Amino acid sequence: MVLSWLKNKAVAARAGTADARGLIIFATVEEAMHAEKVLKKAGFDCKLVAPPPGMRKGCDLALEIDLVEQTAVARALTGRVSYMGIYPFKGEIELLQVEKVTWFTGHVMVKAGNMKLVFDRKTGVIVNISGGGCPDIPYLYTRLVGTHLEAAPRPRDEGRTLCALMLDRALEKALEIWKEAAST
Amino acid sequence: MLIAGTVPVTDMPLTFGRVEREGKNLRVDGYSLPCTQGTMAMVSAALATTSYLGLEPPRVLLAGDIGTGKGSRLIYQYLIEHIEELAPRVLALHYCLPIVTLMQKLYTAVEKYHPRAVLIADAGSMYAAKAAGVAPHFDIFTPDPSEIAFLADPEAVHPAYISRHLFEDAFARVPDLIKRAYANGGAAKCLLVKGAVDYIVKDGVIVDEIKEPDIPQMECIGGTGDTITGMVTAFAYAGLDPDQAASISAKANRAAGRRANPTPATSVAEIIDQLPGIFRESLCSWSGICTR
Repeated sequence: MVLSWLKNKAVAARAGTADARGLIIFATVEEAMHAEKVLKKAGFDCKLVAPPPGMRKGCDLALEIDLVEQTAVARALTGRVSYMGIYPFKGEIELLQVEKVTWFTGHVMVKAGNMKLVFDRKTGVIVNISGGGCPDIPYLYTRLVGTHLEAAPRPRDEGRTLCALMLDRALEKALEIWKEAAST
Repeated sequence: MLIAGTVPVTDMPLTFGRVEREGKNLRVDGYSLPCTQGTMAMVSAALATTSYLGLEPPRVLLAGDIGTGKGSRLIYQYLIEHIEELAPRVLALHYCLPIVTLMQKLYTAVEKYHPRAVLIADAGSMYAAKAAGVAPHFDIFTPDPSEIAFLADPEAVHPAYISRHLFEDAFARVPDLIKRAYANGGAAKCLLVKGAVDYIVKDGVIVDEIKEPDIPQMECIGGTGDTITGMVTAFAYAGLDPDQAASISAKANRAAGRRANPTPATSVAEIIDQLPGIFRESLCSWSGICTR
């Protein structure tokens, strides 16, 4: 049943998303148009739109993206097109910037948003990752768990979603704790 | 029972079948998958439960996806086009990229056939259901404290964008956040809010609180929330009301955690291995389900 259906869907159309959209704001219209070309070539679903009045930061053209793909979008633009920021259509303008740290006897858990990363206090090895709901998180679990904090791949480089971005923040904080402990 | 979700295997196509245990792994349609965090932890716990209850093993619809959304889209589209033919009594949606328009289409498809499936969502599918405005039509959500803050925030499209004040004291304010989630249309009919205290909520009213045994290390272990959702799905399939299924699952998860004597480095598979013993020991007294 699945195979026959797959044959008919060999090139499945990418479905658009609705409310979970974000905006990339640029300083110039030219940059916005260039970014659209870069992102479309890289396979992202995006379109040029007029930003709402409250979000106009220098031009009248923004790029609408799937906000969940923010991390990958930012990576695709880095070094190619400069932009002023990526923002959600709704909600707070700033991404959540809070980390919480829980100390266990032999481990430290760092929480950033909906993501948690745990490392061994003696060895610096990542022993667990929990939380999150996007499909790159189980993948990043397989990539990070068992590796040293300083050798671990960065979720912002290998992940694509906001969950990955939160996990990257947790890793960054964990690295800070690890390096501080090593220097004392 | 049908569980749909992605797995972190880059080249795995859309795969449908019944799941069976194969040593430490699960086998589905020729694929052997480890029981790690995510959809497979959920499926493993559901399988442990159905095995104990003597029910058919879960059917699963899986696809590889490491964040591109390719596998997630295949799952959504397949469900949308085949839901009537699949006719699940219980449909649980798990790790998928939140794609709002596809979630709306899926919900419309599910509503068309009768009897309608019991709808359960966790992880990215829960995010999509909330963002798509169909959360109140779902039967069960299983959020953690940061996710209930997300469900309570009418403006947030992802837990990374919840209001700072909602996130900072989410753990201490779960009952208030539950009220807000219902008031804002972000909650399912039944919620199991997982955390230091597990809150079972029915139509906006907290009907049970489970606090013991308290094992803080469980929060560290990737997949311990997924196991709860897997059990909830299986107990709902067994015919229990959502709130009863949620309550028993929360108790079983904690009891399994205690029996595994976990550290923050413990894997979720070690917790799941304890479930049959916990069911033998306590399920009859918790639920009246006395199969053995």
